[in-house]
Amino acid sequence: MTWLPVALISLWLATFVTGQLLFKRAMESSRAAGFRNRKTLTMLSIGIAVMTSSFLLNLGLLQHFDLSYLYPFQGASIIIITLLAAVILKERLTPRLIIGTLLITAGVILVSMS
Amino acid sequence: MAERPTGFFNPWFQFVLNIIGVVIYELLLKAGASATADPARGWSGFGITALISPLTWLAIAVIIVDLIIWLYILRYIPLSIAFPLSRTVDVLVPISCWFILKEAISPMRWCGIALVIVGLVIVAKPAAQLEERL
Repeated sequence: MTWLPVALISLWLATFVTGQLLFKRAMESSRAAGFRNRKTLTMLSIGIAVMTSSFLLNLGLLQHFDLSYLYPFQGASIIIITLLAAVILKERLTPRLIIGTLLITAGVILVSMS
Repeated sequence: MAERPTGFFNPWFQFVLNIIGVVIYELLLKAGASATADPARGWSGFGITALISPLTWLAIAVIIVDLIIWLYILRYIPLSIAFPLSRTVDVLVPISCWFILKEAISPMRWCGIALVIVGLVIVAKPAAQLEERL
């Protein structure tokens, strides 16, 4: 049953990253068109639903693994979110931001492995 | 771009509140999940059984407040800057364990903490430039 934890951890990461991107989209939309806008509300609702499932997955994983085991995966989410923010949200990535993000990711992984 | 609020509603002040909230709920969540973990159940009741613990519900309350703060932050700060900076918690948790709980930190862990701090300083520079443009 080794595939199950891998699948659950991947699903947890995927929902977490998707939720963050949806939140950012919703907030961009709220600045442009307000909170009563249909696009804002849709993005926000889907984002909250996705984040809730991510939260329950995380809770379940915490029952089976130490926080220190799960942390490196959370570390990986930093680089994934930054890259997707550039690709999907068209945020500007500078070399400096990429280097900083890579260092934070490496540091988080090192902290949790030691 | 709309006027950026100042004082209590300054997004960077809210950022600090958000980080404190994350540290609190991470500890509460682990406490709640551990208190309800039952190895005999295996993978059944996955995650849901943790909801029995009041600690988990307290964590959920903190998470909801923290989520509202996070959404507020995202209104003003790009995700590619806000998210890496939010990982300040990964430094704060072990350091507070060392400082308050007198837990030992291995040399490797100190190296990791140092890497995160250097990374945060590097990411904070574009954030400061962003501030100038606002």
